[in-house]
Amino acid sequence: MNSQLYIQNRNTLFWCALGLLVLALFPSSASAHQETGTVWGFRSGFIHPLTGLDHIAAMVAVGLWGAFLGAPAMWVLPVVFPLVMAFGGALGVLGVPLPGVETGIALSSLVLGIAVAFGTRPPLWVAALIVGTFAIFHGHAHGAEMPKAANATTYAIGFVIATGLLHLSGIGFGLLVRWPWGQKLVRLGGGAIALIGLGFLFHFIPA
Amino acid sequence: MNVNKPFWRRVLPFALLLALPATASAHTAISGVGDFLGGVLHPVTTPLHLLLLLGLGLLAGQHAPLNLKIPLATFIPVSALALVFTMTGMVKTVYPPVLIGLTLVVGLLVALEKPLPAVVTGTLFGLAALALGLDSTVENGRVISIARTLLGTWLGLTLALIDIAYYLSFFTRQKWQQVGIRVAGSWITAASFMILAFALRR
Repeated sequence: MNSQLYIQNRNTLFWCALGLLVLALFPSSASAHQETGTVWGFRSGFIHPLTGLDHIAAMVAVGLWGAFLGAPAMWVLPVVFPLVMAFGGALGVLGVPLPGVETGIALSSLVLGIAVAFGTRPPLWVAALIVGTFAIFHGHAHGAEMPKAANATTYAIGFVIATGLLHLSGIGFGLLVRWPWGQKLVRLGGGAIALIGLGFLFHFIPA
Repeated sequence: MNVNKPFWRRVLPFALLLALPATASAHTAISGVGDFLGGVLHPVTTPLHLLLLLGLGLLAGQHAPLNLKIPLATFIPVSALALVFTMTGMVKTVYPPVLIGLTLVVGLLVALEKPLPAVVTGTLFGLAALALGLDSTVENGRVISIARTLLGTWLGLTLALIDIAYYLSFFTRQKWQQVGIRVAGSWITAASFMILAFALRR
């Protein structure tokens, strides 16, 4: 009975992880940081993190790495990221210049992707520091676009929710590490994210 | 309350209530619903109020067993007094950074998940009730109409807080549920931080 339940749970987990992965890959054909004129409300905020492959790759990588490292990193990293990202976002909103934002965003996919691909397991504070540092660049990029929002409150809420859901997608995919073949798949995913980061860094992929 | 009732049946009314404000906008009269119901719906149709209420509900309900004595002992009377005070016309609205700053602090406390001393809890809920109440001014209308709206708002604020805390208390048993609440707190903080920056810039 217990083993049946165990198998059932594992199957459910597998399908959940697969579903979240598909969701995470869905908007990958959109482009990043396009100026679309007036940005408005919740919809704009929610869509913004989903319209840039560079952002999506990094957000998913945070969740993937967290899941790979296991508890407590699995939830500490997705908590640290939005908090520090909000700081970067505030800098962007206030017009405080931050050099190398696009480079920082591209590097985030590269570094986090490599960390997942090689199964790097640093101490939690180091992982949080790395994730937090990159979060500032992502936040700044989003924040700089925020002043055009018609409703700043709903824009920020939508934006944070979408970012969090991308982390959850990464965690969902990352939970596949429970299986040996899943570990390989997750590492491959990390490798793919690193390649995307490399593409953005050297402008093989247009931002 | 019937504890044997299926969970979805207990959650459904609240879910429907949450689904209602999708077409409403902040600080405007909702046409066709009347003064009282318009007042009840006001807190859940004003994004910033809803965000703060959500944070307060999470803060009140995240520690088991559920104990709402102190939060409600300050929130209910202070919000009532603040709403009555708006009738004098001396306060039109609350300076937005105050409301946003409160939301930020509340979200951060949820994310940290540290039990708070009773004095801090009481003060925080009192301040939040004051800000929410003073920010719910009804600008036009007859006295009776304003009174009905404010009564509805007071009921809406109280019910929203109790509802969120009560239903949340079902999700505090497992470790992953506690983590989920802390993550929600971090999301509230992050959103508030960005809104605060925007408000200060303007």
